[in-house]
Amino acid sequence: MAQILIFPKLGQTMEEGAIIKWHKKEGDPVKKGDIVFEIETDKAALEVESFFEGTLLKILIKEGITVPVNTPVGYVGMPGEKLPDAPPPAPKAEAPKPAAPKAAPRVEAASSVTRAPSPAARPAPAPVKAVEVSSRLFISPRAKALAKKCVINPSGIRGSGPDGRIIEKDVQDYLDAHGYGQLKVSPAAKKLAAKEGLDILRIKGTGDAGRIMVHDVERAVAEKPKVMSKMRQVIARRLTESFSTIPHFYVSVSVDMTDLMAYRQELKNSGKSYTVTDFILEAVTLSLLEFPVVNSYTDGASVSLRSSVQLGMAVSVPDGLVVPVIRDAETLSMQELHDVQQVLAAKAREGKLLPDEMTGSTFTVSNMGMLDVDNFNAIINPGEAAILAVASTRPAPAVHGGQVKIRQIMKITLSVDHRIVDGAVGAAFANSLKKKLEDIELWKSLT
Amino acid sequence: MEKFDVTVIGSGPGGYPAAIRAAQLGASVAIIEKEELGGTCLNWGCIPTKTLIASSELFHRMNHSGALGLSAGKTAFDYAAMSKRKDEVVGKLRSGVGMLLKGNGVKVFNGTGSFAGRNRITVAGSDGKEVATIETGSTIIATGSESAMPGFIPKGERIVESKAFLGLTKLPASLIVLGGGVIGCEFACMAAQLGAKVTVVEMLEDILVILDSDVRREVRSNIEKNLGIRVLTGKPLEKIAAGKGVVSGMFGDEKLEAEMMIVAIGRRPVTKGLGLEKAGIETNKAGFIPVDEYCRTSVATIYAIGDVNGGVQLAHAATSQGVTAAENACGKMRRKAEKLVPSCIFTSPEIGSVGLTEQAAKEKSLNVKIGKFSFAALGKAMASGEDRGFVKWVVDAGSDQLLGAHAVGAHATELISEAATAIRAELTAEEIGRTVHCHPTFSEAWMEAAHAAHGACIHAAPKRKSI
Repeated sequence: MAQILIFPKLGQTMEEGAIIKWHKKEGDPVKKGDIVFEIETDKAALEVESFFEGTLLKILIKEGITVPVNTPVGYVGMPGEKLPDAPPPAPKAEAPKPAAPKAAPRVEAASSVTRAPSPAARPAPAPVKAVEVSSRLFISPRAKALAKKCVINPSGIRGSGPDGRIIEKDVQDYLDAHGYGQLKVSPAAKKLAAKEGLDILRIKGTGDAGRIMVHDVERAVAEKPKVMSKMRQVIARRLTESFSTIPHFYVSVSVDMTDLMAYRQELKNSGKSYTVTDFILEAVTLSLLEFPVVNSYTDGASVSLRSSVQLGMAVSVPDGLVVPVIRDAETLSMQELHDVQQVLAAKAREGKLLPDEMTGSTFTVSNMGMLDVDNFNAIINPGEAAILAVASTRPAPAVHGGQVKIRQIMKITLSVDHRIVDGAVGAAFANSLKKKLEDIELWKSLT
Repeated sequence: MEKFDVTVIGSGPGGYPAAIRAAQLGASVAIIEKEELGGTCLNWGCIPTKTLIASSELFHRMNHSGALGLSAGKTAFDYAAMSKRKDEVVGKLRSGVGMLLKGNGVKVFNGTGSFAGRNRITVAGSDGKEVATIETGSTIIATGSESAMPGFIPKGERIVESKAFLGLTKLPASLIVLGGGVIGCEFACMAAQLGAKVTVVEMLEDILVILDSDVRREVRSNIEKNLGIRVLTGKPLEKIAAGKGVVSGMFGDEKLEAEMMIVAIGRRPVTKGLGLEKAGIETNKAGFIPVDEYCRTSVATIYAIGDVNGGVQLAHAATSQGVTAAENACGKMRRKAEKLVPSCIFTSPEIGSVGLTEQAAKEKSLNVKIGKFSFAALGKAMASGEDRGFVKWVVDAGSDQLLGAHAVGAHATELISEAATAIRAELTAEEIGRTVHCHPTFSEAWMEAAHAAHGACIHAAPKRKSI
């Protein structure tokens, strides 16, 4: 009996995902532990191994289609084995739950924000094809065939047939009105445009006498709207949600890092390596314990004050950004914090973070120190009350001991949800960070 | 001091068309030439070699026409007479260039041009004395290239490059050709057809490496088997020495000897004495003058065309660039230089090539189809007794666009132009397949090869389908 490959559920909050690549073709032998396909969730791309031995008999779910977790995606079995006619249905129990009602317990409401959205909330990743004649377009078969033959998009044509139906004459008039007869197109360019589903009337020709050449079509192909990666879509949706619903305000302070940098070097010489990020994360953790309201979440009607620090750190990865979470940061020593941070950052860069490692943060630090910036403002991660933006540490004139000196200055900017945190608290929190980072005695006691 | 809108330095196949085009567009034009009008191509390259090859080809056919029912009896050639005819052809063409320049009102300066500034050029006579100073708006550098003669090659009367070889009035009985590139192979074929004992030595793994391996194989097997040329590849020729009546060198452990050696291992740009630094023109490491796609050098009013800019070293590429540069210099809307340049090689058999090779497609991991048709299956080729060779298309598998074409065999250098037109117009294999070609002609092969790209060849048995 053929074994069913299912779309795995890789985290508590994971509800759906897409196969981005099948590593095996139908008919390929599959060994236990072989990578059969690669999936992309709203958090990460991951490789999936086979639990079975045999031959990949059938692929049920093609690349690029989003499905709920536990959906059967293929069969592994003996060559020639007969397969069931209909694929088994996906277990209903795992279907996305409806959003929690507003009156739900506070903790529940808070966590639902960081959860992957229900499929209905997400734009459908339909393949973008300019000339794809929508099934809703009211057009006669002859008109449709003419449009296809001429490689144009009929969706903008006004129909003169019964009930506004587009008829062949409408397409012909449209072609005449847009100078289709004078259009010069190389044969290969026309073929490529048809293949790529482009509207030839929208392509500018740069060949002799304005002839549309292959490279013109290639340029149009490159400019064609493409479905963003799952990760980009999630970033887009979450940041829009945050920035349009949370009233942000910003507090900046300059931190004199001269002494800490010297102390860090001293530690390094004695064999203890810490990154600047380690000190910042530790200072943030300590300050959050002093200002629980900054470590909170509000939906505008209620507030949940978190009792532990789940510290998110933004890590940039190719074509996106991920935020791995340091669990219960307040319970970790400096050394442990450093170790956890290093492991998570490495996993993030290698694309190996599991969805559970990227959810449930209560505060986030975004460090652009390596990117040579003076200052920047970050957008609050949904489900949190504030985010810290850390800019580069660089030599600058500063008043030190009553005199202007060149000091190592780092600007940090706190973005705050004004619904729950006011200016005075934001300022106090920012200055608490500054004070800690400039207090060498503190670091001597912690390292 | 004389003033011109456009000054062209060098009157080769790039320079003189540039001058004529600029004059057609109404510019006042000067052209500076230090040797002969027509440059390398006309005087010491394309034209004289093809004149000699015309004789050697015919001689070879005369001696090998038994299969056509012909016998020429006792044949002989007079190399001095062949050389004289070559000089006459060259002389006629050269005076033609002079007439064209004169007819278009281009002023010719005999001497060596040298920049004194961005807009000032001095002309020095053969004695080095300044004979004229020109003030110019734009300048087109078309000084071309010359044979490279590296230091490890000793100097001597018996070791020559192509230009000196063409000055000979007696053909050596044996010849070592150093370099299996286009120039080396053409000279090798010519000498071998006239009965010389020829050895080609190429350091790379094969001769004519820019071509696809199937094209190379066709040429190499013919020149080895039918012309008796020895082709040695994969090792350099070492310890080259020029004795009194003999030149020698070591190919691995084997000592090679011949009456003469022709060195054809590449060409270097002619920029010495041009005073490029005075105009602020940059050159690259190899000494070429790099240009943008409009043929402009690092100085916006100064253009460089042809061999000297380090692009394709072909006369017709220089001509195309020369016309483009002249139009750009005359303020027409700027035009990019053509990128699609066909090439022809006058070996025996001939080779024509344009666009992408199968090899290059593979290196770029492009998804291509190959459509090939052999002359052995072509009526006209059989009728002519010239049934060696083939043509092939390199076709984009997705769009059916023709990306490259290669021909080897009789008339390949003429055949390639149809392919160049088709590729530049971005035709598809289907369209060439539907284009009616005359029967019986060699050109039909293109149509058949286009069908072959779709596996729908009429005059070739279908490939056996795997069961």
